[in-house]
Amino acid sequence: MSLGSVKYLIKEGFKNAWVNRLMTLASVGVLVACMIVIGLALLITENVNKAIGNLEQQNVVMVYMKDYNWALYSDSAKTDATESSTENQAEETEAADKNGIKESDYVIHNEKEAKALCDKIGDISNVATVTFVSSDEGLETAKKSMTQGQEDYFTFLNEEYGNPISAAAKVTMKDMALFSQTIEEIEKLEGVDVIQSQDDLADTINSIKKGVGVAGIWIIGILFIIALVIVSNTIRVTMYTRKLEISIMKAVGATDTFIRIPFIVEGIIMGIISAIIAEGLLYFCYRVATETIISSLGTTDIVKYSDMAWILLLVFMGIGLFAGIVGSIIIISKYLRKEGSEFAAI
Amino acid sequence: MEQILNSEASVIENQKPIIEFRGVSKTYPTGTHALEDVNIKINNGEFVFVVGSSGAGKSTFMKLIMREEKANTGEINVNGFNLMTIKHKEIPLLRRTMGIVFQDFRLIPTMNVFDNVAFAMHVVGASGRNIRREVSKALSKVGLGNKARSMPMQLSGGEQQRVGLARALVNSPDLIIADEPTGNVDPNMSYDIVNMLTEINKLGTTVLMVTHDHNLVRDFQHRVIMLDGGKIVADNAGGGLQ
Repeated sequence: MSLGSVKYLIKEGFKNAWVNRLMTLASVGVLVACMIVIGLALLITENVNKAIGNLEQQNVVMVYMKDYNWALYSDSAKTDATESSTENQAEETEAADKNGIKESDYVIHNEKEAKALCDKIGDISNVATVTFVSSDEGLETAKKSMTQGQEDYFTFLNEEYGNPISAAAKVTMKDMALFSQTIEEIEKLEGVDVIQSQDDLADTINSIKKGVGVAGIWIIGILFIIALVIVSNTIRVTMYTRKLEISIMKAVGATDTFIRIPFIVEGIIMGIISAIIAEGLLYFCYRVATETIISSLGTTDIVKYSDMAWILLLVFMGIGLFAGIVGSIIIISKYLRKEGSEFAAI
Repeated sequence: MEQILNSEASVIENQKPIIEFRGVSKTYPTGTHALEDVNIKINNGEFVFVVGSSGAGKSTFMKLIMREEKANTGEINVNGFNLMTIKHKEIPLLRRTMGIVFQDFRLIPTMNVFDNVAFAMHVVGASGRNIRREVSKALSKVGLGNKARSMPMQLSGGEQQRVGLARALVNSPDLIIADEPTGNVDPNMSYDIVNMLTEINKLGTTVLMVTHDHNLVRDFQHRVIMLDGGKIVADNAGGGLQ
């Protein structure tokens, strides 16, 4: 096809869009509506993900270490027991072995070793942050949630036998979907004693994420099909109004491609115009909505439109172009196969 | 001597059939037998009237030539294309070798006369310069050189048909298929149109014209093929009726 023909066909596409401007306008209107809903679905999904991200950051896992402090505490207790009855020493050693409480188990003897374990935890790919919590800090934190009696008891234990709280690592994760897997990886590390986590919260976060994802895909999918049908219908109407031209084109030897191109151009024009209008309108709507939310709820933790502007424009252009091109190709091919060959009124 | 031989070769070349039907039958899926065992040869440069009553098979005959329909049996050759084996993508190439004139003119009402004719050239990918030159020539040939900027609605029926004729001619086809070109024009204009077709024919273009107008058939001494009930019932090829 020559450059002249391409220019001519593109011009024809623009002309078609203009001649059928009412139909084009109606289609652009519905396409814009679809795009705005798709855009809103994307923005809501993004905001929910952001909120979940914050929640994930708050879902802290406490990894308690096999701490020498605790060992000392245990040993002190053990020493008292030994003093009280030397005959039971063999039994006590045996009992200690049965419970797995051996001195060799206490791999964390000082802060340096504890921080080294924190580094190892931090090396796990799904771990977002690791914060070292010393025994003293742990005890202070624990006391805050204790009754006076409990607090007195722990103070007594600390003074008599040493700090009963072992050193710990405060861990947050990147992806809650990998929660169990990450916990298993942490458990395997040498020096890890007990892991305290909120499995329920992790499950809830995961199900919210999945739900939002699935709903988003469905909304986008359905609206995308609607967009495709709308463009197809406009092209169908345009095509029937240009039945005469098509019949003449075929009579003088136009190829199917030559006949298709102006319609495809028309579809592309509709797609691009719709994408630009949708982008502008969505920006306006989102700005109004976020300003209202910020002023009424006081939260500023909302996704900025500018962060999503290019993605949304690309999505809209993608939807518009795909719907325009595929919609017109489907309809014209169907038409050319069924009726397009009837050009002679003989 | 060489000149004579060349001249004879040219005559033989000219006598090659541009359209050839051999044992062609066409039955539509509805069960209608439109054509039955049609055998015909139309040579290069001939002017042929196709006549027959409604339902005689004229439409099917023309549709088969244009490959709008495909025959069930037999063999059809048009302008070097075997229409029984032609590929879908080659059909436009076949149609570019022919110009079609419609009874209802089929002009695009939103385009002026020039653009209506130029349209046929855009379709075949002609350059802008070529289009301007050839369209002007075709319009002059049909006597509408001064109406290039007029809209179809501003023209009489006869003038509109002449625009249709210019459109059929503009790509210099080997074959013109005219579907009752005089059906919607007054009798005087009918003679003008057939005269024009005759002039075009004299320049070597084969003309196949469907008509119901017996006066035209009588007054223009051309070959006449008569169809009835899907069969050729008369053909005065070579001067006499078969």
